Amino acid sequence: MRLAAALLGTLLATPAWADCALDLGRGTGWVVFSEHYLMAFRPDPLRIEVGEPFALILNVCTRNGGAAELLAVDANMPEHRHGMNYRATIVAKGDGRFRAEGFLFHMPGRWEITFDVRAGDDSERLTHDIILK
Amino acid sequence: MRLLLLLVWLLAVGAVGVRAQQLLDWSSDEIRAVGQHGPWPPPPVRDPSNKVSGTPAGIALGEHLFNEPRLSGDGRMSCAKCHQAGREWSDGLAKARGAVELDRRTPSLWNVGYLHWFGWDGAGDSLWAQSIRPLLDPREMNGGPTRAGEFLRSDLAFACGYERAFGSKPGTDDERLLVDTAKALAAFQATLVSPRAPFDDFRDALVSGDRESAARYPLAAQRGLKLFIGEANCNLCHLGPRFTSGEFGDIGIPFFVRPGEVDSGRLGGLGRLAANPFNLLGKYNDDATGNNARRTRHVQRQHANFGEFRVPGLRQVGRSGPYMHNGSLATLEDVIRHYSEVSPDRLHSDGIPLVRPLGLSAEQSADLVAFLRSLDAEPLARPSPAPLCP
Repeated sequence: MRLAAALLGTLLATPAWADCALDLGRGTGWVVFSEHYLMAFRPDPLRIEVGEPFALILNVCTRNGGAAELLAVDANMPEHRHGMNYRATIVAKGDGRFRAEGFLFHMPGRWEITFDVRAGDDSERLTHDIILK
Repeated sequence: MRLLLLLVWLLAVGAVGVRAQQLLDWSSDEIRAVGQHGPWPPPPVRDPSNKVSGTPAGIALGEHLFNEPRLSGDGRMSCAKCHQAGREWSDGLAKARGAVELDRRTPSLWNVGYLHWFGWDGAGDSLWAQSIRPLLDPREMNGGPTRAGEFLRSDLAFACGYERAFGSKPGTDDERLLVDTAKALAAFQATLVSPRAPFDDFRDALVSGDRESAARYPLAAQRGLKLFIGEANCNLCHLGPRFTSGEFGDIGIPFFVRPGEVDSGRLGGLGRLAANPFNLLGKYNDDATGNNARRTRHVQRQHANFGEFRVPGLRQVGRSGPYMHNGSLATLEDVIRHYSEVSPDRLHSDGIPLVRPLGLSAEQSADLVAFLRSLDAEPLARPSPAPLCP
């Protein structure tokens, strides 16, 4: 936990990263980053319940401060090798902010959310795991 | 000698008494898992897509319509013919019998108002849209698109009941009156909530730490419940207070309905959903926000949907056989045997399979049945509905 906080602190100390708003309202949610991208997201509503629809509110940033695009977002259960029964759609809100609507996790267990992001010709897949009980 | 016999007898009775009051060890994770199957009953449900949902006048009109054979083409079949109160709102048959025998079992209506997908294949996305289907289906009530409207306009009592529920007299728009008939039917069906069962007393006692009350739950049912939420993983799909995710799964039931013909289940259901003018994306959805149409808007039709059927809730399950979408398993024991011996080759799972042969012992099978039967309770007798407009 301390290591992650220190790492995040280091990232935020870089001027371009510092421009990336991580506060999505009502708390930060989760932060995912790679060498080129930093992304914050949270569910809406905040608590994900098995069998209940939810949306994701996202903010995608690049290392050099350029515009980043969210190409696709999806979720699957790697252990069972199945995805959702639903397909999320993305609405761009400007300034690297997005809303992805149409999620529903129909089972408890580990769900892997995948985010395909792009800036220019450079695209990348970021992932984040959620354990739903 | 007599004293010795008396002592032995007292010890034996005591031992039985201790056994009857025994509570198995339940870990905090298990208690949390058991707790997720309650509390029961849940709060009454109100469907925002149906403006008469939860209204006394809508419910009263719906109950009368539910029992009304004049909605059918030959004037002899009502909803209540297949969904019988005395048979757990089903009919006890392996396959439903309308004008002809159908390929699927009549689903129970207990707790149907809490669902999001309706019918075994989920072709309906609201209870009222689902209620239109049997009214029109030539194999079932065969009422035709104008029947409900003509009936509501011509029968004084029903016309009065309609006006009370919807705020105006039945008009000339037959499609609107068909939809409103279905919305009243849905309002009534949503009131069918199954009674509290022995499991609920155990669940509440376990969660609140009342060990003495929890110990009244039979040991076999406790062992079966441990299997259900543990090794057998039944609660991955049979989850929550209603014991269902409300979604769909393929559990290895054969999908051939007759030689050369298959029931594609959810795959076909999603096709019918998209083509249905009464789905929640259409003009008859009373929810102006559109929030209740999110599932319909985002659901995706996938090849894996072939052979999937809706996961049924398990409340009153011991009283509502036969089982599976096609009524192919006669008893609860048959159902447990199916899960114990199901062929993994039939299920085509790439990852960790959700359904696998459990290889249960005879005692484990009996324990699971004991648990499932603890979800049963005797419903209160229903009074006859009050007159629509006395």
